[in-house]
Amino acid sequence: MFLFLGSSKDSWYGGGVALSLHSSRVRGSILSSGYCLCGVPHVLHYVSVEVGFKAVFHSFLDCYSRKHGLKRVVIIRDFRMESSSGEKQQRSSVASQFFTGTEDAASDMTTNEKVVDLLNQAALMSTDDKLTALKQVQELIINKDPSLLDNYLDEMLAFQNDKSIEVRKFVIGFIEEACKRDNELLLKLLGNLNMVLKDESVNVVKKAILTLTQLYKVTLQWLLRTKSISDVQEGCWDMVTQMKGEVLALLDSDNDGVRTHAIKFTESLIITLSPRTSDSDVPKKQEGDISLDKVPKDHSYIRYDVLCEEGKSALEQLLKFMVHPAISSINLTTALGSLATLARQRPMFMSEVIQAYETLHANLPPTLAKSQVSSVRKSLKLHLVSVLRHPSSVDFHSQISTLLLDLGMAQSEIARCVPAAAQVRKRPRHEPYSEGKRIKMEPTLIEDDDDKEEPAPIIAPKPLATTGTQSAIDLTAEFLLPLLTPENVANLVLISMVYLPDNMPASFQATYTPVESAGTDSQIKHLARLMATQMTASGLGPGLEQCKARDEEGKEGEADAAVAETSSKDPIIIRKVSAVSLGQAISVVGAYKSEATEETPQAKKLPEPILPSTQPKAPGSSGRKKVFRLADVVQPLSDSQIDKLNSMAVRRILQSEKAIARSGMSHVRVKLLARLITQFKGAMKDDMLRFILEDIRSRIDLAFALLYQEYNQYLSELPSGSLDSYEHCLFALLSGLQERPEQRDGLFNKLVLEAPLITESALEVIRRYCEDESRVYLGMPTLKDLILKRPSRQFQYLHVLLDLSSHEKEKVRSAALNIIKWMYEKDHLRDYIEKFALNYMQLLVHPNPPSLLFGVGEDTEVAAPWTEETVRQCLYLYLSLLPLNHRLVHELAAVYTEAIADIKRSVLRVIEQPIRGMGMNSPDLLLLVENCPKGAETLVTRCLHILTDKVPPSPDLVERVRDLYHKRVPDVRFLIPVINGLEKKEVIQALPKLIKLNPIVVKEVFNRLLGTQHSEGSSSVSPLTPGELLIALHNIDSTKCDMKSIIKATNLCFGEKNVYTSEVLAVVMQQLMDQSPLPMLLMRTVIQSLTMYPRLGGFVMNILTRLIPKQVWKYPKVWEGFVKCCQRTKPQSYTVLLQLPPAQLASVFERCPEMREPLLQHVRSFTPHQQAHIPSSIMAILEANSRMPEPEPAQHEPEHMKAHEERELHTQLFVRPITQAETPAPVVVAPPELAPESVARREEMEEPMEEGEAGTECLEIATEATAQIEALENESGATPVSQAKAEEPMETTTTEPAEDQPREVVDNSGAEPETRADDPE
Amino acid sequence: MPSHPLRVAVVCSSNQNRSMEAHNILSKRGFDVRSFGTGSHVKLPGPAPDKPNVYDFKTTYEQMYSDLVRKDKELYTQNGILHMLERNKRIKTRPERFQNCKDQFDLVITCEERVYDQVLEDLNSREQETFQPVHVINVDIQDNHEEATLGAFLICELCQCIQHTDDMENDIDELLQEFEEKSSRPFLHTVCFY
Repeated sequence: MFLFLGSSKDSWYGGGVALSLHSSRVRGSILSSGYCLCGVPHVLHYVSVEVGFKAVFHSFLDCYSRKHGLKRVVIIRDFRMESSSGEKQQRSSVASQFFTGTEDAASDMTTNEKVVDLLNQAALMSTDDKLTALKQVQELIINKDPSLLDNYLDEMLAFQNDKSIEVRKFVIGFIEEACKRDNELLLKLLGNLNMVLKDESVNVVKKAILTLTQLYKVTLQWLLRTKSISDVQEGCWDMVTQMKGEVLALLDSDNDGVRTHAIKFTESLIITLSPRTSDSDVPKKQEGDISLDKVPKDHSYIRYDVLCEEGKSALEQLLKFMVHPAISSINLTTALGSLATLARQRPMFMSEVIQAYETLHANLPPTLAKSQVSSVRKSLKLHLVSVLRHPSSVDFHSQISTLLLDLGMAQSEIARCVPAAAQVRKRPRHEPYSEGKRIKMEPTLIEDDDDKEEPAPIIAPKPLATTGTQSAIDLTAEFLLPLLTPENVANLVLISMVYLPDNMPASFQATYTPVESAGTDSQIKHLARLMATQMTASGLGPGLEQCKARDEEGKEGEADAAVAETSSKDPIIIRKVSAVSLGQAISVVGAYKSEATEETPQAKKLPEPILPSTQPKAPGSSGRKKVFRLADVVQPLSDSQIDKLNSMAVRRILQSEKAIARSGMSHVRVKLLARLITQFKGAMKDDMLRFILEDIRSRIDLAFALLYQEYNQYLSELPSGSLDSYEHCLFALLSGLQERPEQRDGLFNKLVLEAPLITESALEVIRRYCEDESRVYLGMPTLKDLILKRPSRQFQYLHVLLDLSSHEKEKVRSAALNIIKWMYEKDHLRDYIEKFALNYMQLLVHPNPPSLLFGVGEDTEVAAPWTEETVRQCLYLYLSLLPLNHRLVHELAAVYTEAIADIKRSVLRVIEQPIRGMGMNSPDLLLLVENCPKGAETLVTRCLHILTDKVPPSPDLVERVRDLYHKRVPDVRFLIPVINGLEKKEVIQALPKLIKLNPIVVKEVFNRLLGTQHSEGSSSVSPLTPGELLIALHNIDSTKCDMKSIIKATNLCFGEKNVYTSEVLAVVMQQLMDQSPLPMLLMRTVIQSLTMYPRLGGFVMNILTRLIPKQVWKYPKVWEGFVKCCQRTKPQSYTVLLQLPPAQLASVFERCPEMREPLLQHVRSFTPHQQAHIPSSIMAILEANSRMPEPEPAQHEPEHMKAHEERELHTQLFVRPITQAETPAPVVVAPPELAPESVARREEMEEPMEEGEAGTECLEIATEATAQIEALENESGATPVSQAKAEEPMETTTTEPAEDQPREVVDNSGAEPETRADDPE
Repeated sequence: MPSHPLRVAVVCSSNQNRSMEAHNILSKRGFDVRSFGTGSHVKLPGPAPDKPNVYDFKTTYEQMYSDLVRKDKELYTQNGILHMLERNKRIKTRPERFQNCKDQFDLVITCEERVYDQVLEDLNSREQETFQPVHVINVDIQDNHEEATLGAFLICELCQCIQHTDDMENDIDELLQEFEEKSSRPFLHTVCFY
């Protein structure tokens, strides 16, 4: 192991050299801590070499020494190894030779193996372990065995891309260490450093800046030292220079910490790129650092002058940076510290530093918070004190003291900080302002170190002060000084009062110190200078103008400068200036402008740096562009932020409704909002709509403004524009309106009618309105208005209205129908409406309801059957039009004939209202009756019924019906409705057919005939009186009609007690009795009448009596009834019986033997006189029981005549009181021919005779059955036909041709009351 | 969060009460913390205000404890000094002087302005080498037990917030402003470099 130490002429270099066995290369590496004074122990520790290669090492060492100009080389043998183990051992085991450390020596592994192992592990470890492992590797390959460094460099650098920030930072640290250890690695590693300088993590960038701060110096030093010219090295220098520029640019970084590091880098850079002078403070550890004074001027690519310039420009940047108005407190503190360091280490910059401090003190950034101001002031104080302590600050003590006093430091304290020597030299106050720019870098460079402290300004303070051309501030201050009279100052104070802020700024509060020496000369000067600083900072004042003028002239040539300077008091310096290169001269000469006259052109660079605002910013400079660039201080907002801000702004405008209304600018607000909202889509619009809807009544203006704006937008974008936005807007407004409870204000109507365009969805909302029962009163009129006032889309709106006419809700439907009916009057709409109605109705011809009848949402199967509901749906509109246009009825009939049975039934139920509306005088209706299309018979019948339900039929109608009946369809049912319009004989003619119909129909017929049907009373004049009807019934030819039906019919008559009063019946009986032959049902009617009106007893006796002469016994049925009647009316009938001829009396007794005894008793109760009137033949029959055979009818004839006379008498005798009131009925002699017929029919008659009560019962059953059928039909409308047949024995019309027709009629009659009940009139 | 744990130093004048209280809490919360004093000597209250107990920084807490017990156990028990020393013993053996510590920190928190000034002076007088920044923050805390406890919690909260920022150097300014508002006391803050 060897250590070599060399010394150049004035400093020691030390280094360790390692020979790497496996690479067989000779490499030299100077340790970063290789200064012999402090580095010896380290060097000894780590440097080792393989003994066997000693010769190679020596030759290398020679070469190295020569190259670096080492005069003495001390080679130290491996003192430890040699002393302990000797050469032999080293040769045998390479591994153990390398290490003198404790732990590794004990390990079996070689360093190499260990490194490999650690690297392998590190790749897989977690961050913390990885760091530990990598640190070990670093230790091993940099300190323990640098020969391995080159080998594992790549492996280490691979971690540069690790995802952990700490690892990346470590790699940077490793780069630094490695480069310091082996400078040649810079060639390779600077590229890596450059990469990490752009790392995404600020912490990595910061670490890279720190490393570059170190490596910049190292690189410069190394490159200068090697002196060899190689492209690679030059490239390396270019790279460092470029990186330097990048870091300087980072002064503008967004990140505070990065800027802080950039400031420190700048500080270090300025120190490196400026010459160290004898009055420089030199930190011990940096003694060996490179600085400008060590840079040779003859280097091939590192140019002294360029470096010098770079250093100055860096200082300028730093100074510019410091006066940035928005500088952060930490950056400011850092910069203050850096300046203090600069002032101490490079006293040549003292002036700039002090001036910067002054400026800062007078212009603390307004952005600082109060506590930050305190912190900054504290820093300022601290650094000022540190500068004050530096001997070179002596010229500035006055300024520094003033500042320190302002910062609250006691005079005595300040005095304590001033070096003893400096205090003596304190000068009058004005002097410090003259810039003591006796900065002589040149002397240093030209080895005239001793000259630089030449205190030129001190020697001649007065002229400097009077010329006052050093800086703009100085000039302006001097300009101001005489102007600061008490009067002017007072005025200034008064004027500036106006501009004072409301609150005391934190910085003022912190910096304020009472003015102790007010009014003194020094204080006035101080004030003048303060003002001058401010004025210059804001680009005002004569000083500035002069300086500018100077600047312009500044470039006019160095000759002038030189000439000017010959007049100055420092010829030595001038000489030196002329000796240096041009570029340097400018800057250096600038330092002398203080002494030059005002026209001296060369004061180009130095005076201004602290006055950035006086210079237009240089666009390309990396300086404080931030002052002027808005983009630097503002962050671009994210989209969501922009959105948020937008919507918040709009919301504020929205919310400011009342405030703006008070100011009377509401219309502007409305317009503004409408435009804003239209431009910015999205949530804002919804907000606005919501806002409007909160109180739409007062915000309707806004609503319309928005609506029109949207529409305009759409129009302006035609033809590609989309209506979506407008539609959304309108839709939201209308829908919102719908949800409001109070609707009477007509806003909806207004909105709809004034909207520029009604879109589909808006129409949908209107439709919803119409469908809503609580809104229909609003929706319908609106829709109506829309149809009338928007002709261009009239039919579209009309269609909606028409659609609604079949709506399921009655309220909606009727509202729609009302409007439609009204519109139907309008010619231009009529066709459309009619067509629609017709189309709709014609749907009925389909076997199943088309899907359009169902709501859009209802997915009903196509095969669904027609229901009452769907049928009605198709008809509402058509039927409501019917009364307005009677012609429509024909189409209805046409559809009716084609429709299926269910539909027909439904149609019949619903047509009542419209048909009634048409009236029976409607020519079209009459025409329909006249034509009666085939299949429409039931419809026509129904129509007739409806028409005549309450009003008697008109002659016209009767005529048509009669026509129809006679000529085309001989169905008696046609006649029923018009039956009261027919003539008597027609009725009588039709009666047999009529009473054979369904009992219910029969009943109706009777009702009509009897006038019991109409509630208004019997206004209609029946062609038949009730009596005539009953008589007609009795006279029906039994061949045309069965007796049963007749009996039922008469029963119906008897049911109407109030019509068939006893009087009516008496007349009927009278008339019937007078007929000849006697009607078969005569006695039945008599008995029934008697049952109904027992007081008719006398009259009946009279009838019975009068029947005797008519030989009533010749009509078996009548005779039977006669006997029955007598039987019932005993004892009254005794008188009648006694008038019978004996044979007939015997016949009576035969039939009713129980009658004889009472009659006998009756006779015996007579007076003898009376008894004498009783013929003996009669008495014989009475007494002789049944001994006597029945007398021959022929024999009785004469007797009968005789008996008749007697009976006349009897009547007069006994019956008179009863029959007195009666009109004596004409005696009718029954024609004898009738008798045989009666006999023949006797059997047939028997049954009906006995069922007086049973008839009624039967009728009841029939009614019940009908009701059942009706019920059944209602339940299952399809199959009642067979049931009707089976369960309806009374049905007489089953022989009708159309199978369903009879049922129709039945249904009609049955359904009628139902329909009426349903009808909501 | 910063990628490595913050290295925190808490500094008061004698490294007894305020800094130790904060040290105690911060170490319990898992911070990498050390505490220091900046005074030339360690001073503890004595029987009278003008008669403090003065030790040098080499004296261990244990020794101070024994000394005070010997002098007036009751008095020092009553004013809580013994209790405090007891606590300090458990944390470390003896007080440390900031000026004598060459270790690097990320954050130095001082407990009064005078201490802050001393810390700044010391840091600035050192020769800069690595330019590694260290933030110095002053939190004024009166030198009594209660205030020390309250102050320690404030410091702890501050440290936690700083620890949780993504980029301490960039965020610390704002953070301190917030804390100033919250605690309504001003903080001095600056940055120094090693």
